[in-house]
Amino acid sequence: MSSCPPAVKPGWPGCDGSAVTEGMPDGAWLRVHPASPFVRGWVALAAIGFFFGRDTFERLLQGGPLIDEQFAGRAPWLLLGGGTLLLLTVAGYILTWYFTRYQVAAGYVRVNTGFLFRQQRQARLDRVQAIDIVQPLLARIFGLAELKFEVADAGESAVRLAYLRMADARQLRATILARAAGVADSPESPEAVEAPEHAVLTVPPSRLAGSLLLSEQSVGVVLGGVASVALSAVTENRAFYLYLIPAALGLVTAYWSMFNKGYNFTAAVSPDGIRLRYGLLDTQAQTLPPGRIQALRVSQPPLWRIFGWYRMQANVAGYGAAGTNGEGSARTTLLPVGTFADVLAMLSLVLPDPGTPDPVRVVTAGLRGLADPAGTPDRDADGGFVTTPRRARLLAPLGWRRNGFVATDTALLIRSGRWWRHLVMVPHQRTQSIALEQGPLARRFRVVDLVLHTTAGPVSPRLVQAGLEEGRALFEAQSARASAARKLQRSEHWLALPPVVEPVETPDLDKLDHRSEPDHRSEPDHRVQPAAKGQSNQKGPHHG
Amino acid sequence: MPTEAIDPPGIAWLRVSPKYVTVRLAGWALANLIVLAVLAVPLVLVLSGAWTWPPLWLAAAVPAVMLLLALGRLALIPRQVGSIGYAEREDDLLIRRGIFFQRTLVVPYGRMQYVDIGAGPVERALGLCTLKLHTASAGTSAEIPGLPAGEGARLREQLSARGEARLAGL
Repeated sequence: MSSCPPAVKPGWPGCDGSAVTEGMPDGAWLRVHPASPFVRGWVALAAIGFFFGRDTFERLLQGGPLIDEQFAGRAPWLLLGGGTLLLLTVAGYILTWYFTRYQVAAGYVRVNTGFLFRQQRQARLDRVQAIDIVQPLLARIFGLAELKFEVADAGESAVRLAYLRMADARQLRATILARAAGVADSPESPEAVEAPEHAVLTVPPSRLAGSLLLSEQSVGVVLGGVASVALSAVTENRAFYLYLIPAALGLVTAYWSMFNKGYNFTAAVSPDGIRLRYGLLDTQAQTLPPGRIQALRVSQPPLWRIFGWYRMQANVAGYGAAGTNGEGSARTTLLPVGTFADVLAMLSLVLPDPGTPDPVRVVTAGLRGLADPAGTPDRDADGGFVTTPRRARLLAPLGWRRNGFVATDTALLIRSGRWWRHLVMVPHQRTQSIALEQGPLARRFRVVDLVLHTTAGPVSPRLVQAGLEEGRALFEAQSARASAARKLQRSEHWLALPPVVEPVETPDLDKLDHRSEPDHRSEPDHRVQPAAKGQSNQKGPHHG
Repeated sequence: MPTEAIDPPGIAWLRVSPKYVTVRLAGWALANLIVLAVLAVPLVLVLSGAWTWPPLWLAAAVPAVMLLLALGRLALIPRQVGSIGYAEREDDLLIRRGIFFQRTLVVPYGRMQYVDIGAGPVERALGLCTLKLHTASAGTSAEIPGLPAGEGARLREQLSARGEARLAGL
């Protein structure tokens, strides 16, 4: 930092110390780890090495002389070409590294990048939607990590810092979260301590493997295998198996990727939000500050019913629409596979105030419940779910007893699916807009669909085939609730107010009964939180 | 068939300009003329004797069916335009559309990220514009077409002002 390269204008922040202290009150401009371009670009280096070294290597393998007549003539050119390319690449790496600088100060994180094409980016800390620390295998070997700072633009990460030392990355994450939360905004204490956290659940590898074996994909594999065996038997074509090799390879890759991503999944809670950690070779640690979940879905494929397993996915504004590829879908997964107790524990984290006196019953009904076949409105037995009216049972012969909704004080729950069970939850204050839709057939049966629009992600909440009156009433009530909930919305600085979550002691997952706390608070605390000692001073994001 | 509307009762809908029918007609004509012209090529070739297959009835039937479908859609256009409506309420904006496939949408003012006004060549010639609301969700797709330019500008200002007053985070 001492010498200013000529390309840099004088007074460029970070070029000399004075400019930094003038413009920005605190926080020095820092660079990422010097080894990072090499860790990131090792493929290119390896390719260059391979391309130019292959000749010699092959010669060695064949046991021929290392240098023969023909090669001796070409060698200088090869060396020159390879050397130049290598030098250019390395020079490019060093320049990229030199011109990438970041700073956390005055409520912003700033990153300057680019050598020829300069880019300065700054993002407001309190706009953080999620912070991820990613460690690809190679970076992990070197003890490095990438930090991703997500804001609500549903696209690329706003800030990607690759790579930092693991300790530095964690320190930076703690600093960003502390400032975003509004606790350590004083320049005197720039180094924030990492918020204490408490593990809530883990997914054992055996369960993960089992869930993969019982997934929808496996059913397809078995069916495909049976079909191909039958085909080869019928046509007596032995070579048929050869065509299965690429398919099998693809499947192994897919299973491996899912196992790799879901391995050692751990969820923890801290005042900074929910921490999710997972990964076998590449590890990832996500931090979701409170209230960043826009919508979530609990689902259960048919075969998972044997063991009572569920999967949880969520829409987070910063993650955007995840494709089916590994990283994106892993990031939006709140729980790759878990028991009912795990689901409840997770729900208590993402929805601390379920807004109903008996959340366990409501969630149970949402996951497993069926309406009375006679269509009598005995909703209390079914967790309060309002289902498709009996008159529309021709339209949804299987689903009409499942398709339903219930609105608590804080969220709308939509359940659907007789075989593939789904339960979607959308907090009222996260609803973007609501639409009622009806086609000609639905009109004949006097039912409507209600669509809630949330940010991009794997969950798209849609209530299908609700009765016309119920749907219309819900539309009205929901828009009123959404605006009421928004008026009560808290500040973005989630810790500047009374603490959201105190570090909890051992959550006792066996005791799932809801606790009606004889508490000092005026408003009763209804949460899905499995009963645990030491949680009575835990404030949910109550409005006020 | 019961034709009960899905809209919440007691809403005074504001309708879009009847001139918007012309815009839709122009779009209809452009799309259908091209399709019909392409489909009529075999008919012309069969009639002129250049092609022996398909038979004449088939060559004539395909464009005829398309023409009928297009005419059916044409007959619907005025009613479709008539079904578009919007209503400004205290806290949100309601937009409805559709006859067979109805959709009623509510967008809270505080959720609006930005408002677009656009006008195609035909719309501009008629002094109309299309107003589009964007929220943080891609699924919102809130569009009010066929607004008179003055009304569009008024609505945009109104929405921006109300959005600012009820601004909410994500």
